[in-house]
Amino acid sequence: MSEKAAKADGNEDMSTINHHGSHAVGGHHDEGSYLAPKGGLVSTMWAWATTIDHKKLGVMYLAAVLTLFFLGGVAALAVRVELFQPTTMVNGKITGQVFQDAGGAVAAGHAIYNRIFTLHGAIMVFMVIVPGIPSALGNFLLPIMLGAKDVAFPRLNLLSWWVYVVGSVLGVVSIIMGGVDTGWTFYTPYSTSTDWDVYMRVVLMIGAAFVLGFSSILTGLNFVVTVHKLRAPGMGWFDMPLFVWAIYSTAIIQVLATPVIGITLLLLIFERLFHVGIFDPAIGGDPVLFQHFFWFYSHPVVYVMILPAFGIISELITVHAHKKIFGYRAMAFASLGVAFVSFLVWGHHMFASMGEMASAVFSALTFLVAIPTAVKVFNWVATLYKGSIQFTAPMVYALFFLFLFTIGGLTGLPLGTLSTDLHLHDSYFVVAHFHYVMMGGTIISFVAGIHHWWPKMFGKMYNERWAIVGACLVFIGFNLTFFTQFILGTRGMPRRYATYIPEFTELHQWSTYGSFILLLGFLVHLFVFIHSLVAGRPAPKNPWGGLSLEWETDSPPIEHNFHHEPLVKHGPYDFETTVPPHWDPKDYPIPASNFAAEKH
Amino acid sequence: MMTSLFEHGLLSATLAEGNALRDFIFGTGGTGHHAEMVEETFAWIFWISAFFFVVLMGLTVLWSVQYKRRATPVALVSSSHNTVLETLWTVIPLGILAVMFFKGFQGYLDLSVAPAGAIEMDVRAAKWDWRIIYPNGAESTEREKLGSAKEIPIFYMPAETPVKLRMVSNDVLHSFWVPDFRGKFDVMPNRYTYYGFTSGPIKGEKKLEAGPFAGTPYQDHWLFCAEYCGDSHSEMAAVVRMVPRETWAKIVDSWSGAGLTPVEKGKRLYTIQCASCHSIDGSKNTGPSWKDAFGKTETFTDGTSGVVDDAYVRESIYEPAKKLVAGYGPQMASFKGILSEDDVAAIIEYMKTISVNHKPAEGQK
Repeated sequence: MSEKAAKADGNEDMSTINHHGSHAVGGHHDEGSYLAPKGGLVSTMWAWATTIDHKKLGVMYLAAVLTLFFLGGVAALAVRVELFQPTTMVNGKITGQVFQDAGGAVAAGHAIYNRIFTLHGAIMVFMVIVPGIPSALGNFLLPIMLGAKDVAFPRLNLLSWWVYVVGSVLGVVSIIMGGVDTGWTFYTPYSTSTDWDVYMRVVLMIGAAFVLGFSSILTGLNFVVTVHKLRAPGMGWFDMPLFVWAIYSTAIIQVLATPVIGITLLLLIFERLFHVGIFDPAIGGDPVLFQHFFWFYSHPVVYVMILPAFGIISELITVHAHKKIFGYRAMAFASLGVAFVSFLVWGHHMFASMGEMASAVFSALTFLVAIPTAVKVFNWVATLYKGSIQFTAPMVYALFFLFLFTIGGLTGLPLGTLSTDLHLHDSYFVVAHFHYVMMGGTIISFVAGIHHWWPKMFGKMYNERWAIVGACLVFIGFNLTFFTQFILGTRGMPRRYATYIPEFTELHQWSTYGSFILLLGFLVHLFVFIHSLVAGRPAPKNPWGGLSLEWETDSPPIEHNFHHEPLVKHGPYDFETTVPPHWDPKDYPIPASNFAAEKH
Repeated sequence: MMTSLFEHGLLSATLAEGNALRDFIFGTGGTGHHAEMVEETFAWIFWISAFFFVVLMGLTVLWSVQYKRRATPVALVSSSHNTVLETLWTVIPLGILAVMFFKGFQGYLDLSVAPAGAIEMDVRAAKWDWRIIYPNGAESTEREKLGSAKEIPIFYMPAETPVKLRMVSNDVLHSFWVPDFRGKFDVMPNRYTYYGFTSGPIKGEKKLEAGPFAGTPYQDHWLFCAEYCGDSHSEMAAVVRMVPRETWAKIVDSWSGAGLTPVEKGKRLYTIQCASCHSIDGSKNTGPSWKDAFGKTETFTDGTSGVVDDAYVRESIYEPAKKLVAGYGPQMASFKGILSEDDVAAIIEYMKTISVNHKPAEGQK
């Protein structure tokens, strides 16, 4: 029991072991599950489309993000298939080029490849990784973890959702019209000079990123206010689950940084449409200015992508190891610290185009980010010490995260170091590094989090064995796909290449094999989820024995989240002194015996 | 402590001094002082990272096995906070990172500040070709083909000689990367950037086979464009060929192009400026082939058609987007300010010699 909770508790029971973590105050609202249909199909759909319930919005975001993840993933596979062999011309016949232009020119085939990797990057960054965890899991969980009925501004939340839909539709329309070949970074002057005949596509794609930014700002604003104003009685700042701290830090970055990219993209559209010289040197602009503007947003946004993942991992490791987090305050301050320093490191994307002074300053600042990040990893590992570790799918994923994110983090060191960066910048080493962080870190923890909270979100258990099989396939496939790319990078393979010199063929082929194992792993997850929705056994309120407030309410939660306003009397990680509410350890034992139990 | 170990060669011997692991990571082509510096720094970071990785993952695996949930779901009591430990693991990495930063900055200055007495050359980048202009104004006329049949230039460079490159782009951003030099720098359209290097001795047994310099030892290195620049970004390559300095001077002198006939001059300009996009063997490339092009009637993208004559060639060089041959995109940038009227005339004369569609007037053969 935390001090703060004890104070709020007044004269009440002060024993260190309390069976139910919270006390019932306020009136009774016995209601059905938030998933219960309202009338017929049409009226249910209308109810979902106009809902201001954060849980329904979270579920809709989840569906949209996963759909777009599939689309971006197909593009990634297309990239890997094209790179299986270098393009070669033998007696006027092209071999090794999968995406060929009808006209038969090699360069025109490469142009198709360029559109595909742009599609992959733009979808994965703007529509999947940035909104993924905060909008889907954050929306669903933040109010419940705080013991609130909803976010602070439910209608604004609905607006964010529809803005996200409009932005995604704009992006998809641009792709259907033929796609763009600017890369997701839209570097000038290429982005202001390419595709002149069909320039609307580029404008549409940039417009999509601009609109999606507003969704991000509105969601961030909503979350900041929610955390400040809607914590349940007894919940002080340091009684919040670390997932909430992570989402809070993320929300601050979203509110402060996203307007910059909004303005930048608007300037880019102005330059394209009205030839105002801002970035294009041919009309008096400066292309590096664009890079400064772009990364002033996009670097903090790297932490918008990874901070929520940190939050998820903190929850997963503590709950499934049944152990208090090591260094709670250090973890909370590390999140804020990362968020703060993230604003000061954008220049490290431009070591190969800036002066010596600026490069030195940005390199030094970049190393500062490594410290809070390293502290987090140390704390997670230390949390395992003397725990009671249960190898559920979420926990297996959390351990995979530690492995992959540690590689991702450590390979950031030679990129922050100036001399080695000049070799590795814009090579496959960078590609591998950010996939280890963004996919091995963010996507892996997102999938882990979906498994962890799936019983809560949908009221159904999933098949633990197959989920772990899927996780292992993803882990093997991921490492095969991306570890090879580190070596390609140090050996000299530049990124965004549609073909390459023959020396690189073998490593590229291993990478492509890996990507298909990865696909297989995700398909296993898809079937596990579908099977769970159709035939999963009903989930108990608290399958893992968690102590944060979402485990006190029904699975799935009722429409107003809690029957009574919860009163917080223990910290989210006080496993040593608190018996988790509604938890029967036999209810969800370790996987091996679980399957025996599932049979009868 | 790590630094002193490194400086005493204990750690460097394992990676930077040349062994299987170094060759596995970087390949064997590295050349010059800067490459050594980068490999050393990388090795240093590599071993520190390996140490932390093994410790962290070792503990993760050890504790995952040791504290696997058995009968009781209750964790053993242990501290969840330790000020000394937490301070140590914040301060020690900070110290290591500070050293890392300084090593990196040293290496960076090594690349961006050209060595004293360097030979200065100009690098010009344009979609999708590199040019290097030697101190005597000459340019390489030697080319070879990539696997995809795109023509790329061969740049001869003096071995064991400091070189300073002054680089500028004609259109979008490019980046000059010779992986074997272990360094790159962006090439921009609105300002000069610089790239300094000193290559090492020529390794390997290769000798030039034909031509006046046959028998000269050489070593080839790839030059890649590392900043995405559009359709043929992945083929914007060149060969950097290291030869002994005295031979290099003679080769470059032989390219100066003085006293050429217009046709020879046109052919030379074609090789330097045009060959990356226009073939002369009829194969389709970014632009139409010049084989049999002059005098041919072409259909344009706007549906009209016309004869490829002197006026059309000149217009296409100076205003390339005006009339595009059907099937090709607006990829070419204007050569105004790069090719003079005399140059254009020479190119036209050269085009005439490789086209069966060109019918010379009576008695002019």
